Amino acid sequence: MNNMIIKENKQIGEKYYKINHKSGLEIYVIPKELTTGYALFGTRYGSADNCFRVNGEAEYTHVPDGIAHFLEHKMFENEDGVDTFVRYAQTGASANAYTSFTKTAYLFSCTDNFTESLEILLDHVTHPYFTPETVSKEQGIIGQEIRMYDDNPGWVLMMGLLQSLYKNNTVRVDIAGTVESISEITADLLYKCYNTFYNLHNMSLCVCGSITPEEVIEVADRMLTEAPAIEIDSISGEEEPQVYRSRFSAKMQVSKPQFAIGVKDTAISPDGNERMKKSAALSIICEMLFSRSGALFNELYSKQLIGSGLGYEADHNKRFSFIMLSGDSNDPEAVFARFVDYMNEVKAKGVEDEAFERAKRVVYAQLVKSFDSTEEIANNFLNYIFDDSDMLDYSDAISSVTKDDVSKLIADIFREDRYTLATVLPLDE
Amino acid sequence: MALKKIAVCDGVVLNIIEKDKFKTNYISVNFITPLSSESAALNALLPRVLKRGTVAHPDMASLNRAYETLYSTTIYSRNYKRGEVQIVGFCASPLANDYIPDGTDVLDGTLKLMDEIIFSPLLEDGCFKAEYVESEKRMLIDDVKAQINNKNRYALRRCEEEMCRGEVYGVSETGTAAEIEAITPASLYACYKALLSGAKIEIFFVGKTDEEALIKSIKDVFVKCAHTVTAPLTTEVIRKAGEAREVVEDQPVAQGKLSLGFRTNCVLSDGNYHEFALMRELYGGSTVSKLFMNVREKLSLCYYCSAIPEAHKGIMVVASGIEVANKQKAQDEILAQLEAVKVGDFTEDDLAKAKRSIVNSYTELSDSPMSLESWYLGRALAGLSTSPEDAIELVMNTGREAVMAAAQGVTLDTVYFMRGTLNAGGAENE
Repeated sequence: MNNMIIKENKQIGEKYYKINHKSGLEIYVIPKELTTGYALFGTRYGSADNCFRVNGEAEYTHVPDGIAHFLEHKMFENEDGVDTFVRYAQTGASANAYTSFTKTAYLFSCTDNFTESLEILLDHVTHPYFTPETVSKEQGIIGQEIRMYDDNPGWVLMMGLLQSLYKNNTVRVDIAGTVESISEITADLLYKCYNTFYNLHNMSLCVCGSITPEEVIEVADRMLTEAPAIEIDSISGEEEPQVYRSRFSAKMQVSKPQFAIGVKDTAISPDGNERMKKSAALSIICEMLFSRSGALFNELYSKQLIGSGLGYEADHNKRFSFIMLSGDSNDPEAVFARFVDYMNEVKAKGVEDEAFERAKRVVYAQLVKSFDSTEEIANNFLNYIFDDSDMLDYSDAISSVTKDDVSKLIADIFREDRYTLATVLPLDE
Repeated sequence: MALKKIAVCDGVVLNIIEKDKFKTNYISVNFITPLSSESAALNALLPRVLKRGTVAHPDMASLNRAYETLYSTTIYSRNYKRGEVQIVGFCASPLANDYIPDGTDVLDGTLKLMDEIIFSPLLEDGCFKAEYVESEKRMLIDDVKAQINNKNRYALRRCEEEMCRGEVYGVSETGTAAEIEAITPASLYACYKALLSGAKIEIFFVGKTDEEALIKSIKDVFVKCAHTVTAPLTTEVIRKAGEAREVVEDQPVAQGKLSLGFRTNCVLSDGNYHEFALMRELYGGSTVSKLFMNVREKLSLCYYCSAIPEAHKGIMVVASGIEVANKQKAQDEILAQLEAVKVGDFTEDDLAKAKRSIVNSYTELSDSPMSLESWYLGRALAGLSTSPEDAIELVMNTGREAVMAAAQGVTLDTVYFMRGTLNAGGAENE
């Protein structure tokens, strides 16, 4: 039996239907009167899942770095020899896929023939087909993708930062792996990963657009067969609260030094709702302390210690949690030193009421604005689902954050042994 | 999706696209002038300096506090070129008033802030504040130098620059570092006055509001700059390439970047642009295009390979990232696929796929206020008012002969190759 519930958030004017499909798949349908329909079919499986066992097996399986991403590429091939993109070309949908540290997702957007495209999506993701020839063909393509990222200073900086924050957490492994690691990938290993993580109980489907739950269920009933129950144990690696190393630096062809400051946080609740509230609080903290209205940005800008922007983000999920600030500067060490002092001043002075309220407004507004695109809605929904929370609860989570909550968090998180600085410097002349 | 054009005053047009499906409204003010090396750097710098402070909000901290108070309504500045025309200005996406818990009128607040930024900048001695001008000059020069950081975009830009050397289009929309360096508060202020009294000003609003009230507010703000648009906005089009030229640049990077620059013999104002657009989709516009299926999928030479058109200048760049040793192989294949389209080596099914793909992307435009603006602004520059729906109809009625003819008009002008000198380990290649 398929079991369906409806949930609505009146304040932001959005609702969803959640279907526990009889196949084991969780399906979310978010009705939206936009022209573009969007579907996202994801598995809780990313680059960080490189050591795992299933149903209490005695031994863990170690797989080559980059295999989740490699598998994502290979899922576009089919036994009948017709590429998945070619199938979609019959419906006019625009299809794609991506792999992150913690998930792999397949998607399409379309303005017509939605159910036909949904059929293709459910079919190709549930039917793996690899041969040694097709695996080796992909090594050339992904090899060029890796090379492209090797030349991308933002990516080198990000990976350098993660490798400084974490000693054991598998998020320190590059999503695409290396040219060497992907050369170890075989069709058998791909099947092993597929059969473990692409079990429908480990996956979710998010659909957003002018489409009814009944239409989606009809396709799912036709395309999906019941999956056996599965218990997956994927190791992410124990971590100390302190950063693994305080500095990372690489030299590349850039015009000016690029920097990223990381703040490590290991206090991660096992409860999804608790994590959602903390995530809201961390976003408010970032807005309050690092935005363009704040003292840190304006001081660094007027002293010309940073270029036109200071990026900031908090990423808090069950697997890892950190805050990152990034930008370019002729003197990253000076920016870092100023950041350390600034946080000490904030801790001593406490949080200003007005700045706190403004930051809450900003975070609330960003949430509401994110409901203007079916693509953004489906992707955000999937992130919350995979972190065991519900996007329609997020506006309440934001309102529930108090000034006290953020003051306590600031005191807990911002400590000097949790900070690290990563830089990408220009090549020597 | 009707676009309404309202003459606000001489020189200023308000474009309204009414949509009631969004939670945000979209507003932009665009100053449109001929691209030229004399003014590109000044025009580029101007919105950045205006955004530094106004009489009422004299610094960035106070302006940004105002944005945040308006529920995160940042006013962004921008600067880009379309053909040989430069467009600078501001845009913002305020939340619709329906979603504001405390009843603040954020749309009105946004218009007031735009008014302040454009018409009441912070001045000192009748000129822009020297400190702001100097600091924004540094930032803009940094941005110019930072173009090298993004290798994909840099290779594309360099190809266009080499191809259009000596043409107005070859002028960078940021100006050069030296041109930026030479700017003074007085020269920038003169540029500001010139833009207000000579540029074509196009305002866009996408969303839902009381239209009469919006028109009145916009008129109240802009009536003070009623003016005659001085210079014609035209772009010189070279229809056919001469002998192809090759430019090779060594760079200390891992991946080679190959950009092939073509003259397309077709621009938006020609009237048959849809034929070229369909040809481009078939050749290099999607994941089932000739380029994707052959250069990537069949030969495994690259991760990306696509054809990027410039509809006003009549050029197109095929961009790809490859192993340095495969340069000739990739180039031969990219050109062979173009030949295939020219001689009609594609099926009716291939053509139907390309049509569906293009129809899908044109239809999706209606969900994105910025894409709608970009569509209509582009059409306006070409003297057209074609809607995406009109264009879909034209594409659907295009046959294979027209696609072949469009491909036959495409000629190779410039091959730009960024030759990577590092191998995978970061060491020098032999």
